[in-house]
Amino acid sequence: MNRFDCITPEGTRDALFAECTLRRQVESKLRNLFAARGYSEIITPTLEFYDVFNREARPFPQEKMYKLTDCKGRLLVLRPDNTVPIARVCATRLRDAVLPLRLYYNQSIHVSSPTLKGRDDEVTQSGIELIGSDSRMADLEVIAAAVDVLASCDTEYRLELGNAAFFRELTNRLEASPQVKEAVRNYVEENNFPALNDVLDGLPASDVTEALRQLPRLFGGEEVFAKAAALCPDPAFTTVLDSLKSLWETVTCIAGKERVTVDLSMVHRTDYYSGMVLRGYLSGYGDEILSGGRYDKLIAEFGYDVPATGFAVNVDAVVKVLSKQAATDPAARPASDVLIWAAKGLEADAIKAAETLRAKGLVTEHALFDTLAEAQAYAKKQGIHNVFPITATETEVNQ
Amino acid sequence: MSRPLRIALTKGRLEQDTLGLLEALGYDCSAVRNKGRRLILPIPNRNMEVVLAKANDVITYVEHGVCDLGVVGKDTIMEMHGKFYELLDLGFGRCKFALAVKKGSDFYSGYSVKTIATKYPNVARSFFEAKGMDVDIVKIEGSVELAPLLELSDGIVDIVETGTTLKENGLEVYEDVAPISARLIANTVSMKLRQQEIESLTEKIERYFSENKE
Repeated sequence: MNRFDCITPEGTRDALFAECTLRRQVESKLRNLFAARGYSEIITPTLEFYDVFNREARPFPQEKMYKLTDCKGRLLVLRPDNTVPIARVCATRLRDAVLPLRLYYNQSIHVSSPTLKGRDDEVTQSGIELIGSDSRMADLEVIAAAVDVLASCDTEYRLELGNAAFFRELTNRLEASPQVKEAVRNYVEENNFPALNDVLDGLPASDVTEALRQLPRLFGGEEVFAKAAALCPDPAFTTVLDSLKSLWETVTCIAGKERVTVDLSMVHRTDYYSGMVLRGYLSGYGDEILSGGRYDKLIAEFGYDVPATGFAVNVDAVVKVLSKQAATDPAARPASDVLIWAAKGLEADAIKAAETLRAKGLVTEHALFDTLAEAQAYAKKQGIHNVFPITATETEVNQ
Repeated sequence: MSRPLRIALTKGRLEQDTLGLLEALGYDCSAVRNKGRRLILPIPNRNMEVVLAKANDVITYVEHGVCDLGVVGKDTIMEMHGKFYELLDLGFGRCKFALAVKKGSDFYSGYSVKTIATKYPNVARSFFEAKGMDVDIVKIEGSVELAPLLELSDGIVDIVETGTTLKENGLEVYEDVAPISARLIANTVSMKLRQQEIESLTEKIERYFSENKE
């Protein structure tokens, strides 16, 4: 007997019935939302070369990627991210396309999570990339789409805006070794503030370490801009803060002040995002539902220097939140409307009759039992309310 | 009204100290004091409830967002790490991580790779990594003091409060690793979605601390 032949690998699972229905609903809602904004779908392979993700500015730790080799011994990965492959396509096959390009995707990513943490290793993401513009309007278009995505899930959502340049300016000024800066970056990225404090404790105190220490608390409403300006009076920070503030003001006009907050500690994948960053939250899920931002330098690494902005929605998380709200059994299986049972020799009539019923919009299934009594017992168990026995030829049925 | 603000407390002494603090702030903790075997307990009239858990689990519950806040020792935070906000040093549960060796022995002498026994392998590893030192780490679940006595290890990294256990077993503190005390932690999303409730609690605690400083 094989030990692992009846279970799925850690971090993966089977989705059944009502959950699948809900997932497809969420996916098609997002698809329609993106398509209505002029975005076109793109599908990239699940397998990519390791090299695609193993560049300096693409921080996918190798221990978090699922790796395998192809028949020539080259290293492959299950894609851990959707934006990088799309950047690769833009820089190659879409090089001559008219800009801006509006692309959307709905496909899974694979990330190896620490064991026994209850996290998913396979996550479906649905998202957009707006490529070829560094304008404010491009950021606003992306943010407005994110607002619509969140509002379509729950009225009690929260959208958060930040700017990756703020943290970058801070670390540039930090007097520490590259290794320490890297640790600071990692800890801020993971929101691991306890460990960040430990690292900062080990550095000589300065305005920069103090600002980094305060960074986790630099979130909230309008007051954040004043707080941040007081901590970092330097003109480089003022430029970043002013542009973020003006973006925030415009977005509050679309979504309302209570829905949009600012977070300057939001620096996910700092080497990848270059400007505006955003995240979306829904109550009932302990992590972000949506995340993204501007990444002006990423596509250039594939040899095509164009700016870009976008976001990804964690479809699994949205499904989790919505199925909690729906309060129905996620594994419930919908019952058919009609069960057709045919007496021996009348199978052809049963198949024809079933087609007639389906044409009327009734979900119709065939009974696979020898006797009508067995069929009726099955219908009762399954909750099928109509049993339709065929005991005469088709002409008789029609009469 | 949304679900009560849920705070996970580390069972035992930190739980008692936290309840003392909450009561000093005017919260009614009688249900938690008379908990019986229940593990989720209400704090009346405050839309708040208390969850009692083991230290590591406090972090797990807070990380997943099923508890909004948690009270846990810095020792557990240093060992587990994770994605959450560390909001306040609550000041109680004070002790320290220390490297202890057999009395009179010189830990850093010689060229051999040292062996360290500990309940906190991550803490021990990062302490020696910061020194650029290769050490073998052996995880021990019970009384770590045994390991150097049985000559399994050259030293231990463990929590030291008074040092009595060390002394009675012929060990002594060789070097301090890090100070420890209880911390208030928060889930990252709760911190955003329930910012006002959480900040009103932390402000009350901070005000209480500054008023009661000698």
